[in-house]
Amino acid sequence: MNMELVRNVPKGGFNFDNCKRNEMLLSSGFQHPKTVKTGTTIAGIIFKDGVILGADTRATEGPIVSDKNCSKIHYLAKNMYCCGAGTAADTEMTTDLIASQLEMHRLNTGRQVPVVAANTLLKQFLFRYQGHISAALVLGGVDKTGSYIYCIHPHGSTDKLPYATMGSGSLAAMSVFESRWKPDMTEEEGKLLVRDAIAAGVFNDLGSGSNIDLCVIRKDSVDYLRNYELANLKGKRHGDYRFKPGTTELVGKEEIIEVVPFEAFHKKLYGDETAEAMEVGA
Amino acid sequence: MDFSQDYGIHDNAVSTGTTIMAVEFDGGVVIGADSRTSTGLFVANRVTDKLTRITDKIYCCRSGSAADTQAIADIVAYSLNYHENQTGQDPLVAEAASEFRNYCYNYRDSLLAGIIVAGWDKRNGGQVYSIPLGGMLKRESVTIGGSGSSYIYGYVREAYRPQMNKEDCVAFVVKAVKHAIYHDGSSGGVVRIGIITEDGIERRVFFNTESGNPVEIGN
Amino acid sequence: MSIMAYNGGCLVAMRGKNCVAIATDHRFGIQAQTISTDFEKVFQVNPRTFLGLVGLQTDILTVHDRIMFRKKLYEDRENREMTPEPFSAMISNFLYEHRFGPYFIEPVIAGLHPKTLEPFICNMDLIGCPNKPDDFVVAGTCSEQLYGMCETLWKEDLEPAELSEVISQAIVSAFDRDAISGWGATVYIIEKDKITKKQIKTRMD
Repeated sequence: MNMELVRNVPKGGFNFDNCKRNEMLLSSGFQHPKTVKTGTTIAGIIFKDGVILGADTRATEGPIVSDKNCSKIHYLAKNMYCCGAGTAADTEMTTDLIASQLEMHRLNTGRQVPVVAANTLLKQFLFRYQGHISAALVLGGVDKTGSYIYCIHPHGSTDKLPYATMGSGSLAAMSVFESRWKPDMTEEEGKLLVRDAIAAGVFNDLGSGSNIDLCVIRKDSVDYLRNYELANLKGKRHGDYRFKPGTTELVGKEEIIEVVPFEAFHKKLYGDETAEAMEVGA
Repeated sequence: MDFSQDYGIHDNAVSTGTTIMAVEFDGGVVIGADSRTSTGLFVANRVTDKLTRITDKIYCCRSGSAADTQAIADIVAYSLNYHENQTGQDPLVAEAASEFRNYCYNYRDSLLAGIIVAGWDKRNGGQVYSIPLGGMLKRESVTIGGSGSSYIYGYVREAYRPQMNKEDCVAFVVKAVKHAIYHDGSSGGVVRIGIITEDGIERRVFFNTESGNPVEIGN
Repeated sequence: MSIMAYNGGCLVAMRGKNCVAIATDHRFGIQAQTISTDFEKVFQVNPRTFLGLVGLQTDILTVHDRIMFRKKLYEDRENREMTPEPFSAMISNFLYEHRFGPYFIEPVIAGLHPKTLEPFICNMDLIGCPNKPDDFVVAGTCSEQLYGMCETLWKEDLEPAELSEVISQAIVSAFDRDAISGWGATVYIIEKDKITKKQIKTRMD
């Protein structure tokens, strides 16, 4: 067994062991591989009773759509959600990390965490990495003091706004907000406006596409409307390609590895009894 | 066409290509700023508040990288709040300015921050301190900063008079910032004004119209 | 050329009705030169969980070792089998730890939950962004061809025998148009009570 691994018990935090090697490989003319980006349209508004967040569902790897229905509205806390644009892994991991810190904070204080706290944690985290963690976020939430939308840029600057957009489709989405947003909109008006803003991104920005997700956060309830609108359906295929079993020519015979079904495995271990009393003392 | 690069208009650092200004008067200071935050050519925020609270009677005007200046302002605000709690006294404007200077100077190679610190304290009244890019600290009776300021050096030099009263200072700052907004592409939006005196801050907003009042948009 | 294409190779996994399938090619090359044609990039990590790794060969071996180390650590500590979902979360975290100096691999995970027998497929980019769709996942130098093949051949609720043909035809047709993948392929069909391993006859050029 390779004893080198024993030194490799995970420690937490980033690991820079490969940096020198990778630098060498890349300097000898290899390109850096592409990471999954969410060339995205994300948006959020404040309405009468809370906030509404919206996002498209396309993830891309260069010009390839790597996920047609990914989820870009991330959970932070019961009263807070966060839309992410940029490098997909960064937005995912950043929001997960902050979500766990917020939960710890809630447990330690015994109070609902205010939205500013999430904003501060996110901006300080991103600032520490000086823009190398490319997460552009729209944070939305409701707490005891009101409803908030924050725009958080990868370098760690934040803006508190009544309506915000981010990602490559932000221009298209912002044009919808700039022409139609007004204070104290009803929930229905708000949902329609955010839907239209995301749709503007989906149809006018190449980096955004597929479906529309919404998330409505009110004082004491949340509606996470995953795939609120399926803006782009594939269309029904009327024929199909069928292969008769045996179509593909094999080399030798197929090999079958038996796997004990879980129930059988369970029975083998514990006998036929579903529950067995434990021997206690003697 | 390489799609991987052009999704991120946000790859550019967000910067407050800005006009900021502060003037001392007898009994306080007037601070002013435009409200535009841009990433490259895109206006990321048209209603930014660049007049940032440090304590009740000390504010700073931020220019340069939004991330850098927000981070420093948050740290200094935290630190002064701590000292306020420990000593039971309001911090001096000079102390705030000095702390800003320390960060701006020590991290001058990694920061892009031009800051004006202004406020009122019991010992020295209204004061304005300027901390430009390299981290120098200088008290001035009137100062301007940000990309838009280069357009109004002449106007400020010509129109500034010592011993202006509060309202004259406000009118002067509004006019100067409006000129800068007119000429500078990276400054825009409204003119935000703060008047800091013994009693704290009074805020005003002037729209980019002749009168300074908002235009009614018919629905 | 991308470093991910230095050794060539491809992977695909599909979800079927109460089953999943994962397929790999056999080539190990150094750029255009084929070194061997018996390198399988798919590893059985648990009775019903398979891990495929494609990309730079040296990293495939290193990552496989490190992942297995962490998996064993988990299973020893928890005294239970690692199910596909936490297993992929573990890989995701491992890859993201190396965010600023990544391993040049892309993983594909396919398996059935040992208790619920729920099918699970997942792939990631090299820094661990998970993608868990309900149809198919692909990786490797001919991923674009694979996307095309899977998009047209895959259907919902394929039975194991049908799924086996679909995934075989998809991978064979995909790497026929890729110069640095192919030279044989292996398909695994994972079902409740058995795993079927098939070696597919392919072009050897």
